[in-house]
Amino acid sequence: MTSTSVALLLAWGMVVGLDLISIPQIMIARPLVAGTVAGALAGDPLAGALVGVLLELFALEILPVGAARYPDYGPAAVAGAATAAGVPTILGLGLAGLVGLVMAFTGEWSILVLRRRNTADVRRNAGRLDVGDPAAVRGVHARCIARDALRALLLTAVGLVLAALVHRWAFLSVRTSVLLLAVLVGVALSTGAAGALRLAHGQRRASLWFLAGLAVGIVLVVWR
Amino acid sequence: MKRGMLSAALRLFTVQGSWNYDRMIGVGLGETVAPLLRDLPGGRDGERYREALARASGYFNAHPYLAGVAAGALARAEHDDVPGERIERLRLALVGPLGSVGDRLVWAGTLPAAAGIGLALAATAPVGVGAAVFLALHNAVHVVLRWWGLGSGWRHGMGVARALAAPGLVVALRVVTPIAGFSLGVALPLVARSLTQGFDHSLLLGTAAVGLVALVLQLRLAPTLGALRIGLLAAGVAILGGLLWR
Repeated sequence: MTSTSVALLLAWGMVVGLDLISIPQIMIARPLVAGTVAGALAGDPLAGALVGVLLELFALEILPVGAARYPDYGPAAVAGAATAAGVPTILGLGLAGLVGLVMAFTGEWSILVLRRRNTADVRRNAGRLDVGDPAAVRGVHARCIARDALRALLLTAVGLVLAALVHRWAFLSVRTSVLLLAVLVGVALSTGAAGALRLAHGQRRASLWFLAGLAVGIVLVVWR
Repeated sequence: MKRGMLSAALRLFTVQGSWNYDRMIGVGLGETVAPLLRDLPGGRDGERYREALARASGYFNAHPYLAGVAAGALARAEHDDVPGERIERLRLALVGPLGSVGDRLVWAGTLPAAAGIGLALAATAPVGVGAAVFLALHNAVHVVLRWWGLGSGWRHGMGVARALAAPGLVVALRVVTPIAGFSLGVALPLVARSLTQGFDHSLLLGTAAVGLVALVLQLRLAPTLGALRIGLLAAGVAILGGLLWR
């Protein structure tokens, strides 16, 4: 991978990390988007798209509601795409998925740290916020966003280092790579199904529509 | 259009940027609503502006896409000279409904619906089509929702509850979850096929078995043990198994 690719991946990771919570929440943080674009930046769009699809299934578990804890799959998909780039799918996708999951887990922890720092900032400035000081409102808000940008950048950098290490040192046998891929695909598909079942929980009509969709999907697979 | 509306609409995209445990998105709401308050009597340096900004920057939480409803309504109430205590009560009263409606409409509705369509296309169409369609579908709803929310809040002011009973919103809440269920249902088999290309029969059976066990675990153990942790555990077992299986 060239230094330009690495710089672009870092920038992209920061942008998608910011998108998850801070700006602009247009869902480029979703792995389907983050992974596909990262794959293109890393020179292997197909690998990036497959990593994106795999991690998107995991992300379907999440409802990023308020104070809920949730993994950060955006920079994770960037790291995954960088891991998978240039490696045959059957050998690289499982390992890329694992790198993605590790980084998503790290991202979840980084969001907790960010929230604590933001809270400390707000408490330090509580007096000024309580009297409606415009500079305090603007300053706190801007610092929190800058903090999130730094978090996303560092997270992506760690992810890319991990991807490089895995590229260089993780010599898994073909059998182990395939086994890893099969296991992750199984868990990912079950997560997508569990996400849909949870959405439809207690709603008979939605459950029926999910089953109807499943039937249409199976027909399409057989037909194709 | 009210002066400052465009600036407030743009700032809405950052409303969650200063999320914290004390005021949640309150500071973001203050930053969003500021352009709508600048022409209060006394201007930017006036007492009214500061009082209104202080009220808007207190504790507040809502779905970020619907926070504009609160921003518009609070700004309008300040311009209508509504007493401060009533504005406080309005702000706190909006927390529950805006969170609940937004979560049902977006996180449990339009987002998974668009993701299902995006996944199905990612598995069947050329690279990039799925991601692009997902983004287009999701943001068509997202941007409209933000702009509509801000405008509705400003129009209704203290009577903003009427905006949440808008017929379009009620119908959307009724149909969006079934649509999400259907699109995810269609997507899953297509994605399964795409990700298992090159698998032989025994590997397909193994993947299905892992999937079933993981499904039961997720439905029984979530949120204690979510998909991410199950995935990491399963990957660890797979690598160990692969290393031992010589």
